[in-house]
Amino acid sequence: MREQPLKEVTQLIHAIKIGLVEGSYSITNKTLDIFKYIIMSKSWQSADALMQIVRAQSRIMQAALPQETVTSNIARRILKLTREEFDLLQAKVQHFADDSQASLSLHKLVTQTSENSVSVDYSLPQQGLREALLDHLQEVETELETSSENISVQAEEHIHSSEIILTLGHSRSVENFLKRAIKKRQFLTIIVAECAPACRGHNLAATLANEKNVEIIVIPDAAIFAMMSRVNKVIIGTHSVLANGGLRAACGAYTVALAAKHYSVPVIVLAPMYKLSPLHLCEQDAFNMVGCAEDVIAYDSLPARDAKVYSPKFDYVPPELVTLFISNTYVYIFILLLTSKQILTFLMFNSGGHAPSYVYRLLTELYHPEDLEL
Amino acid sequence: MSQFQKEIVQAVLIADNNAWNFKPLSDEASTALLPLVNVSMLDYALIALNRSGVEEVFVYASLYLQDIRQHIKEGIATFASWSFKMTVHVIGGEGCRCFGDAMRDLDAKALIRGNFILLGADTVTNADLRPVLEQHKRTAKFDKGAAATLVFKESTSSTARTGNELLIAMDRQSTRLHYHQRLRMNHKEARYQIPLDVFLGNSSVTLHHNLLDPQIAIGSPSMLSLFSDNFDFQTRDDFVRGLLINEELLDSRIYVSLLPPAQYAHKVNNWLSYQLVSRDIISRWAYPLVPDMGVYKLQQQYVFYKDNIYKSHDANVSKVALQENVVIQAGSQVDAGTTISSSVVGANCRIGKNCQLNNVFLMANVTIHDNCQLRHCVIGPDAVINEKCVITAGCVLGAKCVLPANTKLSNTLVTSSQDTQRTEENEKIELDSIGPKAYIVSDVTTGDPDDSDGEEDLLPKATTLCIPKMSEIQAQANDASDYSYSSDDDDEDESRVATPLPDDTNIFLSEVIDSLTRGFREKSNPDFLILEINSSRYAYNMSLKEVNFNVVKAVFGMESILEPANNNVLVAINAAFKQLGPVVSNYIKSEDAMFDCLKALEDICEENELVREKISQVVHYLYDKDFISEDAIHAWYKQLDPKEQAPLRQSLAKLVDWLNQSSEEDDDDDDDDDDE
Repeated sequence: MREQPLKEVTQLIHAIKIGLVEGSYSITNKTLDIFKYIIMSKSWQSADALMQIVRAQSRIMQAALPQETVTSNIARRILKLTREEFDLLQAKVQHFADDSQASLSLHKLVTQTSENSVSVDYSLPQQGLREALLDHLQEVETELETSSENISVQAEEHIHSSEIILTLGHSRSVENFLKRAIKKRQFLTIIVAECAPACRGHNLAATLANEKNVEIIVIPDAAIFAMMSRVNKVIIGTHSVLANGGLRAACGAYTVALAAKHYSVPVIVLAPMYKLSPLHLCEQDAFNMVGCAEDVIAYDSLPARDAKVYSPKFDYVPPELVTLFISNTYVYIFILLLTSKQILTFLMFNSGGHAPSYVYRLLTELYHPEDLEL
Repeated sequence: MSQFQKEIVQAVLIADNNAWNFKPLSDEASTALLPLVNVSMLDYALIALNRSGVEEVFVYASLYLQDIRQHIKEGIATFASWSFKMTVHVIGGEGCRCFGDAMRDLDAKALIRGNFILLGADTVTNADLRPVLEQHKRTAKFDKGAAATLVFKESTSSTARTGNELLIAMDRQSTRLHYHQRLRMNHKEARYQIPLDVFLGNSSVTLHHNLLDPQIAIGSPSMLSLFSDNFDFQTRDDFVRGLLINEELLDSRIYVSLLPPAQYAHKVNNWLSYQLVSRDIISRWAYPLVPDMGVYKLQQQYVFYKDNIYKSHDANVSKVALQENVVIQAGSQVDAGTTISSSVVGANCRIGKNCQLNNVFLMANVTIHDNCQLRHCVIGPDAVINEKCVITAGCVLGAKCVLPANTKLSNTLVTSSQDTQRTEENEKIELDSIGPKAYIVSDVTTGDPDDSDGEEDLLPKATTLCIPKMSEIQAQANDASDYSYSSDDDDEDESRVATPLPDDTNIFLSEVIDSLTRGFREKSNPDFLILEINSSRYAYNMSLKEVNFNVVKAVFGMESILEPANNNVLVAINAAFKQLGPVVSNYIKSEDAMFDCLKALEDICEENELVREKISQVVHYLYDKDFISEDAIHAWYKQLDPKEQAPLRQSLAKLVDWLNQSSEEDDDDDDDDDDE
């Protein structure tokens, strides 16, 4: 019975199921809290044991909520962190053990870890791993908290004055992005497709309407194509980004992307890093989620008796329809500078967008290849 | 109010509500644990409560207390989604036989501390009951005598009746309930009787005749004490009725709340509604209570494919076999050539080659061998069906039944052994055997069934009751299209709809009916009756044509024909005409009069279903007794509109054919068909 779910995990699953926790941001946050709790707990002694626990719990979450890929993504991040920290500490220990001169060249360190990575024994207990992990986790948390902010900072690079922007539904990132753009740029027109049946676009329009100096237009989804000819840019959020650069986005996103393609309007997708999933589109995996039939047609209506009613939650948008991803990109390129007895970690900022074809590269940097299959 | 908010939300679940309707499976296990789309009904109710923010639930069970306790324990161990933030207590026992007993027990134990949600274990709903609870609290603040708020769901009449339909009269402003009547299951009422007091005593009354009762209510603490004070309250309906009658005496009132259209609620009280609700769950009307949301287990159990197919990862079945609306559980195996549609397959079932399953509900571990055909049936757990069986129309097989090969069953209940039957007072019933482990159970009883719906009061005692069974569910397109919903109209409009203004013709008709009924009952001289009718005729200035028309109508409008004993309308007609024949023949003399007579029959057919079914025999009878001539029938038949009265024409076609033939053959063979 190693796969018994933790109490916190079951509670989170339940909360997500009944809708107490919604939105990928809060789900990610809550999941991260759980993993933090696991790391802090005394139930593991070696990196291997920790990785086992993280894998088991994230498998449980994946089985219970196959559509919420962010939970698995966070688990992969934790696994990668564990590996890295372990390697680092190992290297340090070895370094002090076999070379008392404390002059390990950068070249040597890099080659050492990459050589050993194939056969690292994670089951060895490692002093200081927990503290190091918690430290690093703090960084992940900060990254998560500032993700929306970091994306919206880039708004003025993409949106210019008197442009017409189209968006769909209500995404937290898009809201902040547009708010920032409204503040910085003048005479914007924002067209919001309502995204039936939930019509979350209405909420977005209502919040944006509080800002000054902007024109907000709410259109039904059917009018997307008609409006597209006048639009300068399409900016949408997404539920997750797949490994090939395709999107699992709110239902209606495919319509928007196709219309944009027809009128050669650039489609910009705001995707924080935690939404990048090493998954591919596959019918077998219950890619989509189907909602309540009542949303589409009234239960009492006559055709409802014989009709099969689907109310899908997501659309798959193929990568060729996406022009650009904007993310909170610190692509972690670690530059390890080893001066005498101290390790400095630098983060390289790689601000800006990525083409869909670049997603695979981001994935390899975010996750360890061995963790792609949990 | 502030102390209300601190209180935890409590709920009471009544299990084993209508055991009788789920024969024979109800004799073997608790109905609350009956799987509905592979999740037991109790779980649906618990999930509904959990989603409404309930923190403490009391489950009342009588017969299968231990089973239910066990089930709750397992649920908590496997992280059932209701086990979060909610404690479940199972109480009850043998002494707690009905709904009323449970309420009295609760009162005695003083477990309920405030307003509580009351639910049947057989209710499937995705409704959020919090607003209703709030509404009840608000009402209770203004009206200290508010005993309960009943929750109803609006529905069209287009679906088959399941015995949950209601007619209520309520005050629109205060949502107070004034009148409550359960509608009959089998055929639709032509008219409703609502006590005049309802309209006299209230300035504004709304009638709802299209409500479903999902057996959800919000109770005040006073509801429990009312049950204790009135120990004759057995069911919830008793409670409602008792309170409405003795409103002043008990100083309590009942309120009504209607669920918004987007929320689904239905009660599973018999096999028919079992089928309906299963279908609704599979076609995602009860979202999020759908199979692929993992309603019960923590893990997702199914993958959703198009055409509403829910397939477990561990089910061994080709996609071709599953046609539409199918749920198939883990461990099941389906062989080649088999097709399944609109069905639920439980865990670890084995289905052989070349079977056809349509609207079939298989519980766990069922084995079906090759070349079987199953339609509209329920197969209990561990049952075995051997080769080439044909099982159709509402069959229910109990647990562990073994059907021999080549069995053909239709509309039968089968149990595995003789002694699983719960019989009253050791009355040994010999069951027909169709195999070593298959006995036919009779579902026809003449006494009161022990269901808690109180239906026995609405149906005459003498009629036999059958369990409503599964069948083809047909949307009654015509009914729904000319069906108008009038609850939003003001009451002036409604009263007009209910009782049309009496004009002279109607008064005349009702007077003739009165005379004829009296004459029929007292066997008075037909001449006097003719005299009476004639005097009425002059009083209301009726033309001869109208008189002819109305006399025939009146004969068929007599109570003995409207509601004949045993539904045998022909016998009733025969009796009526024996007595009143001379009266009728006094008026129906000429060809024109005969034509009027048939016109009247046409009218009657529209109103009286029983006559409509037997119209050809009725016409034939009148022809036999020389009330109407052959020519009149032909003339009448010709003017029947082929489109609008197609069914009538159809049923008459045979008779007219026969008349044509017999007139050619110089009719001698009248007596042959004279078989009333």
